[in-house]
Amino acid sequence: MRNFITPRYYLPALMIFILLLIPLFISSPYILHIMAMVLFWAYLASAWNIVGGFAGQLSLGHGVYVAAGAYVSSLLFANIGLSPWFGMIIGGLVAALLGVIVGYPTLRLRGAYYALATVGFAEGFRVILINTTKIGSWHTGGAEGFLVPLLGDAPQHMQFMSKVPYYYLALVLLLIIVGFSFWLDRSKLGYYLTAIREDEDAALALGINTSRAKLIAAALSAFFTGVGGVYYAQLIRYLEPNAIAGAIMSNQIVFLAIVGGRGTVLGPVIGGIFLTIIGEMTRILFDQVMGLHLFLYGIIVVLFVIFKPRGLIELVEKPYEKLVKMLNGRRVEGAS
Amino acid sequence: MGVLSSIINGILMGGVYGLLAMGLTLIFGIMKIINFAHGAFLMVAMILSYWLWKIMGLDPYLSIIIIAPLMFLLGYLTQRFTIKPVLDAEKDVREPIGALLLTAGLAVAIENFILMVFGADYLMAKTAYSGASINISSLSISVPRLYAFVTSLVVAFLFYQFLIKTELGRAMRATGQDRGVALLMGINVSKVYSIAFGIGTALAGLAGIVLIPFYYAHPSVGAVFITKAFIIVVLGGLGSVHGALVGGLIIGLIESVAAQYMTATWTAILIYFAFLAFLLLKPSGLFGSRYEW
Repeated sequence: MRNFITPRYYLPALMIFILLLIPLFISSPYILHIMAMVLFWAYLASAWNIVGGFAGQLSLGHGVYVAAGAYVSSLLFANIGLSPWFGMIIGGLVAALLGVIVGYPTLRLRGAYYALATVGFAEGFRVILINTTKIGSWHTGGAEGFLVPLLGDAPQHMQFMSKVPYYYLALVLLLIIVGFSFWLDRSKLGYYLTAIREDEDAALALGINTSRAKLIAAALSAFFTGVGGVYYAQLIRYLEPNAIAGAIMSNQIVFLAIVGGRGTVLGPVIGGIFLTIIGEMTRILFDQVMGLHLFLYGIIVVLFVIFKPRGLIELVEKPYEKLVKMLNGRRVEGAS
Repeated sequence: MGVLSSIINGILMGGVYGLLAMGLTLIFGIMKIINFAHGAFLMVAMILSYWLWKIMGLDPYLSIIIIAPLMFLLGYLTQRFTIKPVLDAEKDVREPIGALLLTAGLAVAIENFILMVFGADYLMAKTAYSGASINISSLSISVPRLYAFVTSLVVAFLFYQFLIKTELGRAMRATGQDRGVALLMGINVSKVYSIAFGIGTALAGLAGIVLIPFYYAHPSVGAVFITKAFIIVVLGGLGSVHGALVGGLIIGLIESVAAQYMTATWTAILIYFAFLAFLLLKPSGLFGSRYEW
């Protein structure tokens, strides 16, 4: 038991505890909504990180998977009344299938082909969403977008009048993906992916089935992103093809992970929290200026790629390690 | 529009696609970077050309004299001050993903900067020849597209001659083949990169200028073209200059002819998914290099 009372354990536990308590002190639904979105973006960035960070395969079309999860679950919900809780699994699986469809022809190849294919696929998918108004007798809304039916307080259908449950749901999703990333980072597959990222030829020479490992990473990443899409659909309740499947969504996910630090467990989370808060603040402060917050995003990304390619995590890691050491030292002193 | 007209108009548009894709494939061939800001540069040139026409009454084709050097300079400085530091830091990495991300960040920054400054309006330079067409019996050829096509071909020809015949062109090709050896042969690789990026950007700018008399510009117009340019360069073979031109003509043709039989949007979808299938079957493209990619 004693081992668990070290800063390595109680600091993360403390952080989770603080995150759990936040809704007790904030009553404004608007701020809670923003906080839920912050956690949600951190979740999406972490999901992207599985293929984009750990495996080093740049996907620039993750909006497709968000859209797949959101549309599949919402259509099933609106038409046959299937609860989005089940929709999460189905939406995630459909997204994973799409991930395999894009990944299979391209992940065998090197370099930029995967990035290019994801852009092409996402663009095609977006055009389909805009131009499809019906699938069979199910209306999808086409370019006008799709309104998710509102039931009021219906926990069994992932709908709540209060923002608090949405906040906690986003927190749970985030904790799941962080836990998964933590496991992946130390798993055999994780080592394969790191090897592929660092030197694909060497990985291949060591007998790693590189295209298979990359494909698994792509499918896992797409699955989690799709699950995120289901959550998004129930939180926003309005699906607009350009916003959800377009380049803005796809780029944003990538940028959060890059600025935070791709290929690390917590980097995308830090990036997600940092950039989303900046984005929201510029939106509030400079309401009238169209495009300002995305302009800032672009500039921040450029600056990070040039000056801090490892991301924000690099800046956070050192003080954190210092803090752990300091707390450790104090405990030892107190014990003696 | 008859099938023959649509074939001709498709080829005309394809020439412009080819010009745009040539810039992209040049940058890739020499620097091994996919320039995601390529579409944003095209958009900048369109907007600049529009405002020069609007304010000074300058014909878009005349504005080439001002805008092309400006775009070259923009590309040159972009490589010198943003991409170069990233490439230097990633020297040992075989596939410089950092630089790719950088261009994606630049694209977003540029697009939204233009949005902030010029707004989201759809702009087109309605010149005297904008709506004109040449009619030969049932055949109808759009005049601005014809001008755009001819200009694109002339530029492509000049560019190709530059690449094949001049000393600088030789240095650029050498750098593309093996940057280490090129460096040993006394080529200033960093400068070649800057020039290549400048020329690539200028080519994107030229494509933008010839489009503005018949195509609406807005801050995110680059996204429409860059996705097509990606498909074209893969079709033609990444890094192949003449492949880009041929690929452009093919995509322009498919787009235009298929539109006779289905809605334009389904044509776009057809192209995107045919692209994925093509990647599966022949990833090196029609004129792909011998090098692995």
